[in-house]
Amino acid sequence: MTMAADNELQVQLLAPAGGVQSLGEVLALAEATWEPFSASRRQTLAQLSRLILHDAGLRADASSVALGYWLRRANIDRLSQEFERRGAAAPDTVLVPAGRVFHVAPGNVDTVFVYSWALSYLCGNQNVVRVSGQQTEVLSRLLGVLSNLMRDDPELAGGNRFLTYEHDQAISAALSLWSSHRVLWGGDETVALLRALPLSPHASERTFGSKFSYCAISIAAYLGAGTETIDKLAAGFFNDIFWFDQMACSSPHLLVWVGSADQMNPALDRFHQALAKEIERRGYRGTPSSSMHRLNFAFDLACETDLRVDLKQKEFLAVRLPEGAAWRREICGAGLFTHARAGDLSQLAEFGGQRDQTVTHFGFSRAELRELALKAGARGVDRFVPIGEALAFDTTWDGYDLIGDFLRHVTVRVGAS
Amino acid sequence: MNASPSLEKLLAAAPYSLPQKEKRAILADRTRELTQRHYERCEPYRNLVDRVFGGARALQFARLEDAPFVPVSLFKTRELRSVGPGEVVKTITSSGTSGQAVSRIYLDAGTAQLQSRTLVKIMQHFLGVARRPMVFLDHSAVVRDRQSSSARGAAILGMLPFGRQPFYALREDMTLDLEGLEKYLEGTRGQPPVFFGFTFMVWQYFVEILEKLNRRLSLPGAVLLHSGGWKKLEALQVSPEEFRRRLLAAAGIESVINYYGMAEQVGSVYFENPLHFLHASIYSDVIIRDTNTLEPLPPGRAGLIQLVSALPASYPGHSLLTEDLGVLEGSDNPATGMNGQYFRILGRLPKAELRGCSDTFQKPVPAPA
Repeated sequence: MTMAADNELQVQLLAPAGGVQSLGEVLALAEATWEPFSASRRQTLAQLSRLILHDAGLRADASSVALGYWLRRANIDRLSQEFERRGAAAPDTVLVPAGRVFHVAPGNVDTVFVYSWALSYLCGNQNVVRVSGQQTEVLSRLLGVLSNLMRDDPELAGGNRFLTYEHDQAISAALSLWSSHRVLWGGDETVALLRALPLSPHASERTFGSKFSYCAISIAAYLGAGTETIDKLAAGFFNDIFWFDQMACSSPHLLVWVGSADQMNPALDRFHQALAKEIERRGYRGTPSSSMHRLNFAFDLACETDLRVDLKQKEFLAVRLPEGAAWRREICGAGLFTHARAGDLSQLAEFGGQRDQTVTHFGFSRAELRELALKAGARGVDRFVPIGEALAFDTTWDGYDLIGDFLRHVTVRVGAS
Repeated sequence: MNASPSLEKLLAAAPYSLPQKEKRAILADRTRELTQRHYERCEPYRNLVDRVFGGARALQFARLEDAPFVPVSLFKTRELRSVGPGEVVKTITSSGTSGQAVSRIYLDAGTAQLQSRTLVKIMQHFLGVARRPMVFLDHSAVVRDRQSSSARGAAILGMLPFGRQPFYALREDMTLDLEGLEKYLEGTRGQPPVFFGFTFMVWQYFVEILEKLNRRLSLPGAVLLHSGGWKKLEALQVSPEEFRRRLLAAAGIESVINYYGMAEQVGSVYFENPLHFLHASIYSDVIIRDTNTLEPLPPGRAGLIQLVSALPASYPGHSLLTEDLGVLEGSDNPATGMNGQYFRILGRLPKAELRGCSDTFQKPVPAPA
């Protein structure tokens, strides 16, 4: 990589706000402090949390509020304590930052770039974050908040760059060579496009391909649950599917009802009624385009697949597979999901595949779920979380330890004295 | 296909003669007949009726509003055909405006003939029985290659039989051949011509050019038929009223008739009535549905347009849910001199903008031609 070449590549610097700049200028970063979980970096994230939660526009966006809460001091301190425990558990290891991290953020969930960056920043790295060029209001506001914060925070401003550029392999190639760790969000296409670009022989990489998520519900537990639980589940399911038009990787598309066939109808009726009530309670109205999208998808599917569609449903469309039909992994989005039945959890283990990420669940014991995770094994499923937590960010994502990724493990052993 | 008393009734009447209630009853009979026919002969359609509309009992609807319908996009993703491949005499393809996938509509001889018969009747209602000189506000190259399936070319080919001595008023570079046009009009003097063109092209390559050249034509008795939607003119803030006013001023055309139709239901088109609303002939009707609940809506309320046509016998396109928004404006109004319902189009539903995680680096999408 040469500076001359980098000076011909132009990117749009968004935070610190800087307009169009040459990549060479952008990469002239201040030396980092190199100390993971430093007090100043924790302080910066706590400040960021406050700014997000006080921004009128972001406060209206549920996913930004969740981000603001995740960044608050108590949670960062919790991560910090985990980091200390990690150190204590490995007395022969010194954890240092990976160095320079290049993040490519996904286009569907505006907040992901902040999570990815924040963990890396906490770990003491320099960061270049490429965000989507199609800026939504939420994305612009988050970048605005970061930009403002940088004005009074030289450590933040010195070592972090949030930028965007049109698809340009030369820029991605230069940033890849610059980095010591590359994180590719954005699904199969982005991974395929960028993975071909070489990294430094010493660099590492984490990629997040396109994923499929589903939901498992015990019919007996669901029918046995009280109204309050049912309402809470409906509220949680609503969040799981409607926050990002059901296009987040962890939003469920298939609902597997586990139990006996003769209880399936009453369970589905209860579920649909509770969801309709929740939609009503929130006064949620999707766009007519979303409703048309679901309709087109369901009709097209029904031409070739044996299933049942209920056109009376509002704001969502539940498609039901007949007994014994093969489960499918199609993604429609915008509130379409498919019901299927399983006699027991082992059928889910057999279904598990490499694309499977999140299984949201209700009505199973920890032991049952752990057994299921083990049985699905290497083939699939990265996380089992309760209904309502599909979109909750975790430092373990797609089965990988993100904090571990952002650190290098230096062995320090002394000879016996 | 077998004799159909309901279809015979429709074909025996003039296109705007039957009062709404009477027409609706006949059309419901015909729609039941067609629904049954397609259910028996088109497997994907049978699957839809069984899986989405509750099975064979859905064939026994009393009201037209309760007839099964098919979203128009399905003709882009599925081969929907109720006759054997050998019986297909013509396949209409249409990209609509969205540009990507193409609809395929399979016509057998019977359906193609029905379409022509009803189209003639509708056209004659507005243009008279005698064939008139016809001026296309387009260039001849769009029809030169009859294999090419451009929507513009197809529309012109569909119009050709209704006129005579076709003249193409644009050169291939889209400039107006004013000299040629004036010569043509001189040669056909005394026979009021029919002009035909796409709404936006009529505006950009005819009206605006005449205005710019400060030339005025005098075309007493001429009729302009135009179609293609108002979207581009809306962007220029040109209302239908202004469109008509300036056509009159620049070209002297008093009779300007917009029409609405789709490749999926050729033959039962909707022409503008004297109140400037789109009017259903007896061969078809309009149902407006709530965009959210799909419930049928009364006049005055905006919703999705469903089009029911008595003609499609070789493909299950007799009851289509479009992605256009519209509102019913009235029915059997003496002021229009026509029976039946009329409506207004409010635009097209935008495509759902669902952001996949993979659109991180979107490849630039070329604008549709």
